[in-house]
Amino acid sequence: MISQAGSFAGSDPIANGQFLNGSSPRVRLISVRVEDRAGVLQRITNCLARRGLHLASCAVGQGSEAGVLNLWLRVDPGTQPADQIVKQLNKLIDVVSVDDLTRSEPIEWAMALVEFRPNGRGDQIEETLRRVRAEVVHRDPERLIAALAGPPDLVQAMLDELSQLPIVDFVCSRPMALGSGYPVSASEPARHAQAGSE
Amino acid sequence: MSSFLAAIDEPGRELPSTAPAPGATGAEFLLAALVREGVDTIFGLPGGANLPIYQYLPTFPLRHVLVRHEQGAAHMADGYARASGRVGVCMATSGPGALNLITGLATAHFDSVPVVAITGQVATATIGTDAFQESDVIGSCLSVTKHSYQVRDARDLSAVVAEAFHVARTGRPGAVLIDIPKDVQQQPVSVARGSTGRYRVHRAPAPPSSELVARAAAHLAAAERPVILAGRGVAVAGAQGALQQLAEACDAAVGNTLLGTGVFPTRHPLALGLVGFMGTGYCNQAVSDCDCLVMVGMRADDRVTCRLDAFAPRAEHIIHINIDPAELGKTVDADCQIVGDAKQTLEAIWEQMPPRPRPAWRATVDGWRQRHPLRHPHNGLLQPQEVLAACYERLGPDDITVADVGLNQMWAAAAWTGTEPGIFLNSGGQGTMGFALPAAIGAQAANRTRRVMSVCGEGGFMMTLQELATAVEADLPVKVVILNNRQLGMVRQFQDVFYAGVRSQIDHAVTPDFQMLAQAFGCHGEVVRSAAELGPAIDAAMAYPGPALLDCWIDPEANIYPIVPFGKGLADFVECPES
Ligand SMILES: Cc1ncc(C[n+]2csc(CCOP(=O)(O)OP(=O)(O)O)c2C)c(N)n1
Repeated sequence: MISQAGSFAGSDPIANGQFLNGSSPRVRLISVRVEDRAGVLQRITNCLARRGLHLASCAVGQGSEAGVLNLWLRVDPGTQPADQIVKQLNKLIDVVSVDDLTRSEPIEWAMALVEFRPNGRGDQIEETLRRVRAEVVHRDPERLIAALAGPPDLVQAMLDELSQLPIVDFVCSRPMALGSGYPVSASEPARHAQAGSE
Repeated sequence: MSSFLAAIDEPGRELPSTAPAPGATGAEFLLAALVREGVDTIFGLPGGANLPIYQYLPTFPLRHVLVRHEQGAAHMADGYARASGRVGVCMATSGPGALNLITGLATAHFDSVPVVAITGQVATATIGTDAFQESDVIGSCLSVTKHSYQVRDARDLSAVVAEAFHVARTGRPGAVLIDIPKDVQQQPVSVARGSTGRYRVHRAPAPPSSELVARAAAHLAAAERPVILAGRGVAVAGAQGALQQLAEACDAAVGNTLLGTGVFPTRHPLALGLVGFMGTGYCNQAVSDCDCLVMVGMRADDRVTCRLDAFAPRAEHIIHINIDPAELGKTVDADCQIVGDAKQTLEAIWEQMPPRPRPAWRATVDGWRQRHPLRHPHNGLLQPQEVLAACYERLGPDDITVADVGLNQMWAAAAWTGTEPGIFLNSGGQGTMGFALPAAIGAQAANRTRRVMSVCGEGGFMMTLQELATAVEADLPVKVVILNNRQLGMVRQFQDVFYAGVRSQIDHAVTPDFQMLAQAFGCHGEVVRSAAELGPAIDAAMAYPGPALLDCWIDPEANIYPIVPFGKGLADFVECPES
C-alpha cells in the first residue's frame, strides 16, 4: 500500500493532532474503485481540484479485483454541495464505483512508523512502546523504529503518548476503510465497448 | 476533390471494407477504425508527429479538410457534430498542434458535443524527455474532455477508437482525445486486440425513477402557472415532440436556453424564447412568477439563473431533469431531481398527468408578451435586427445559422425564427469568440445541400478568419455576415452599463477592409451600409456559388436588450429605452 503520509521532522512533530481526521465537519470519506491505468490518480485529483473540492487525504491500495485500485479519499466539498464529490468522480470513465462511506460507520485503519534516537534511553522507549502496544520493527545502536496500527483515533492517541520521547521522524498513513457504504453505483460486470454499439 | 468523395456524399452508401491486412501499420488500423465508425470527414493539419497517419490517409475513403489553424479544426468538428448529430473528428500533430485544439475541445465539451480529437505524440521512447514538440496534451486537456487515451501499443488502436466514439456519443456526449505516439502509428500489427478490457465505458442511464415521475406529474397537474425551460439535452435526446406534447397538455409556457434554441418552435403560442441574462422580458417574468418550474436537458448555469436566490421565487416545486446526475442540485436546488433521458422522462410525466387547459395563465403570459416586446431603436442607422431579419427571410426552414459570441450572438438568437434544433448553433458554455466561421464550415461539410450562414462581430471574425481559405479550398460555400460595429460591442455595453461607463480597450480603430479581404481569399465580398442595400447584397451573396462575406456596418451603439444587471434576479431585467 502506498500512502501520502504526513512527515514532520522537528521538535514537536505530533502535537497538532488532526492530521488523521478531516478538520471540517463537511469532510466526506469516499471510497473509489478505479481502473489501475497510467495517469489515473491525476484524473481523480484533477477532477476534484477543478471543481473546488479539496482533497484532504488519500490512501491507495490494491483491492480484491485484478486491475482495480481502491482509493480512500477525505474530501472537503468547500462551497460545493457535498454530493458533487461522488457525482463528479462517478463521471470519470476510469472510475468503476464510488461510495460515500461517511455515515456508514466503516472500519478505518491507519498505520504509522516512528523513529527514535535512543541516546541511552532505549529501555524507557521500549517500555513506553510496549505500553501503547507498538511493535519495534528495527533496532540498532543509533535508531529504533516502531510501527503502530489501528483505528485513526487510536493511532493518534498512541502518537500523542509517544510525543514525550526523543522522536527523530515519523510517517503516518491516511486511513483505509472497509464497510458498507451507500453505493451510488453498484459495481458492474465487465462491459466492453463494441464497435458501433449505442 | 478525390474520386471517392462522390461516394461519400451519397446517403446510404455501403461502407467499404477496409480491414487492414496483418502486418499493416497502426496508422492503417486507426484509419480503418474511423471508417468503421462511419466517419466521412476529418478536419486536420499535419505535422511531424502525425505524418504516418497522413501517409496512409489518401488510401482510405475519408475526406480530409485541411485547416489553417488547429483551433479551426476542433470548431469544424464541433460544427459538423452539432449539425449532423454524428461524432466530429479533428486531427493535429503533437506539441503546438495539439495544444491549439484545446479551445475548440473545451467549446465542444462544455456544450456536450461529441468530438473525437486525434493527436500525434512524440515517439514512445522520447516521451518525458522534453523532446521536440512534446506536450502533455492528455494532462492539458483533462478538464476539457470527457475522457482521453494515450495509445502505447498499436494493437489497441481499433478497440480504443471504438471505445472513444462510444464514450463521445453516449450518455451526456462530450469531447474525447486519442493521443498516439509516432512509433505506434508506424508499428506493424499482426492481430489487433478486440477490447480495451475496461470495466465500464458507459453506464446506460436507468429509466427515470417512477416515483419521481409520478411526483413531477402531480406537481404539474396541480400547478396553475407552469413553466418549462428546455436546453440542448432535449435535442440530444430527440425529445422535441415529447416537450411540445407535455407543454400543450398543461399550457406550460416554454422558454429555452441559448443552446436550446430551436427545441421548441419559436412561433408557438406557448413559446417564451430565451431565458436568463439576456433573455426575453416575458420569459424572465414567467419564470419569476411560475408556481411550478420544469427544467429539462439543461444545466442552469449563472447566465440562466442570474441571482440564484431570486430564481423562480414563487415556484412551489422545481423539477429538474438531466441525464447527468452531477447537474442536479449543483446550482438550483430543485425539490424533484430526475436523472434520465429527456424524451423518456417527459413522455413518462405526460402519461401520468391529466391534461387541463389554463386559459388564465395563457392570458397572463400573453399580457407580458405584449408589455415587454423585443424592441430596438430607430435612429436611421443600420440596426442588427434589420440585417438579421433580412437574412433569415432568405433562409429555408432547414438552413443553418451559426452565431459567434458577443452582441451578434444574442441578436441572432433573439431574431431567429426557426422551428428545429440543430440548425441554430452557437457556443453557449464557453462563449468562444471565433467559433462561428469554422463551426459553419464544419456544419456545411456535414450538410452540403443546406445553406449555412455564419453571423459574427468583426472581433470574433478576426480570431479565426484564416479559415476562409479552408472554405474556398474545400468548396464549402458558407455565407459570413459580419455585424460590424467597429467595437468589441458586448464588452462596450458591459462597460457602459456595469463599469461606470468607462470605455476601455473596446475600439477597433483599425480593421481591414473586409470586402477586399474576402476577395483576397477568393470569396465574394460586399459592404452594406444602409437598410436599402441589404436585400440585393444578401441575394447576391446567397446566389454566389462559393463562400461569401457581407460586411454590414451597423449602428455602433446598438445594444442588446433586455438585460439583467449583474447581481440582480431575472425579474429585474432592463428593457430597451423607447426611441
Ligand atoms: C476568445 C474570447 N475572448 C474574449 C471573450 C470576451 N468577449 C465576449 S463578447 C466580446 C466582444 C465581442 O466583440 P465582437 O466580436 O466584435 O462582437 P460584438 O459583441 O461587437 O457583436 C468579448 C471580447 C470571449 N468571449 N472569447
